[in-house]
Amino acid sequence: MQPTSSMKEEFLKKWQMGLQIYRPLIDNTSVSERRKAIKLSADVAMASLRRGTTCWSRALIQKTATEDNFLVRQMLSGIKAETLMNKKLPKVMCHRKIVRRSKKILMRRKSKSVSEEIAAKARKLVKRKTQGLRNVVPGGEFMNNDVLLIQETLDYIVSLQTQVNVMRSIVDAAEAGIER
Amino acid sequence: MLEGLVSPENLSLSYADMSVPERLKWLQQHQQQEVLSLSSNDSPDLLQILQFHGSNNDELLQSTFSHFQMVGSGFGTNYNMGFGHSHEAMDGCISRTSSCQIHPPDTMGVMLKNSEENRAISLKNKRKSEVKTREEEKTEKKIKVEAETESNISNKEASSDTSKETSKGASQIQKLDYIHVRARRGEATDRHSLAERARREKISKKMKYLQDLVPGCNTVTGKAGVLDEIINYVQSLQRQVEFLSMKLAVINPELELGVEDLSVKQFQAAYFTNFPVVIASKPSVMVDVPLFPLDQQGSLNLSVSNPNQTSIDAPSESWETQSQSLFASVLR
Repeated sequence: MQPTSSMKEEFLKKWQMGLQIYRPLIDNTSVSERRKAIKLSADVAMASLRRGTTCWSRALIQKTATEDNFLVRQMLSGIKAETLMNKKLPKVMCHRKIVRRSKKILMRRKSKSVSEEIAAKARKLVKRKTQGLRNVVPGGEFMNNDVLLIQETLDYIVSLQTQVNVMRSIVDAAEAGIER
Repeated sequence: MLEGLVSPENLSLSYADMSVPERLKWLQQHQQQEVLSLSSNDSPDLLQILQFHGSNNDELLQSTFSHFQMVGSGFGTNYNMGFGHSHEAMDGCISRTSSCQIHPPDTMGVMLKNSEENRAISLKNKRKSEVKTREEEKTEKKIKVEAETESNISNKEASSDTSKETSKGASQIQKLDYIHVRARRGEATDRHSLAERARREKISKKMKYLQDLVPGCNTVTGKAGVLDEIINYVQSLQRQVEFLSMKLAVINPELELGVEDLSVKQFQAAYFTNFPVVIASKPSVMVDVPLFPLDQQGSLNLSVSNPNQTSIDAPSESWETQSQSLFASVLR
């Protein structure tokens, strides 16, 4: 699925709405403040496109809410904001270190053939990569299900692509306007 | 109408509610009941069919074969494969036509029940975690042949009552909605491995989608490599967002996202100056992210060049076409 123009339009509108909220607050503040405003409003706009259906969008909104509660509340229409922010993320943190330690102890007792060892190493590698993916995707730590993780990644990638496309076109247009 | 009975894929896992020995008892009781009920009818042929259908176990099979009389020619040709010792009986009976006198409502219902039993038995085999896939294939064939002969019989009768009943039976069987996985030849057939295999197939399907989405993933084989590419891609996209927001903050002190009219030349110039700056990570990533025109007015509807064709070898051409499309997008 590629980013559609309707998605991009929606994202742009929401992003503009978010920036409008910021405009009266920020007049001559530093670049970093402005960058933060831009990025946060873009993130919330991107996440709100999914209307809370996906895990990553909820996690992203919660993350930005920790940084700027006011913005999130304003950007999302009233009811949704309350539900999204009050909904605590599932505390299904499996204690990976403990699990890993116990597995190591078990593995020491078994003696393996060469092919088994190779397969085990391959599996370990895949597990490490999935853990890396969980770190990158927002809210990934709560997705113990592999299928869910891949679904969320797909959706997240598409949304990121729309975000990047819109931002890049705006930046280029602005730059071209300045250079005129 | 009878399609619901044909493939074992429609086997619901409702039989899982009963434990295995319970189910065996239930089935045997059923068989006995039906045998008794039909002994009153004047159809010895049907009796034989029932005995044959009801018994998937080897002992019962051998006992019924001794006095088995073929009713339908369709049976014979198929069952010859499985049961070699009954050749003579079969051959002698092939000449028999399948036009047997069968009482409409009872028999169809009974046949349905037997097909259910058959399926239950084959399910029980699955649960037993025996790797008797040949048996499974046999049961699959049996069920198919059943369906053929039943359909033949029902066609000949052509009564609305029976068709209604069969459709009712089929719908009842199909009520439950489970994920149906067929065990292939030579694979374990217990519940856990079936579920695992279904899960693994789901994951591989989704990984294929991801491979299509992420550029440059087709060359890499194996889950680890694909996951690596995905992670890199997501990270680079996130970095791009940050970079672009920083740039916009620098350019745009008023945080105004209004877009003005531009001429193509300036636009292209701006684009080319951007090019060395904007590359955050790999250049391939930048090139391959497609830029679609925002079709707001639809006035300049330039076709976007196929992003998959853009390569690092000829970046200038691709940038030109992409910048033209951007120009179209920016016009309002």
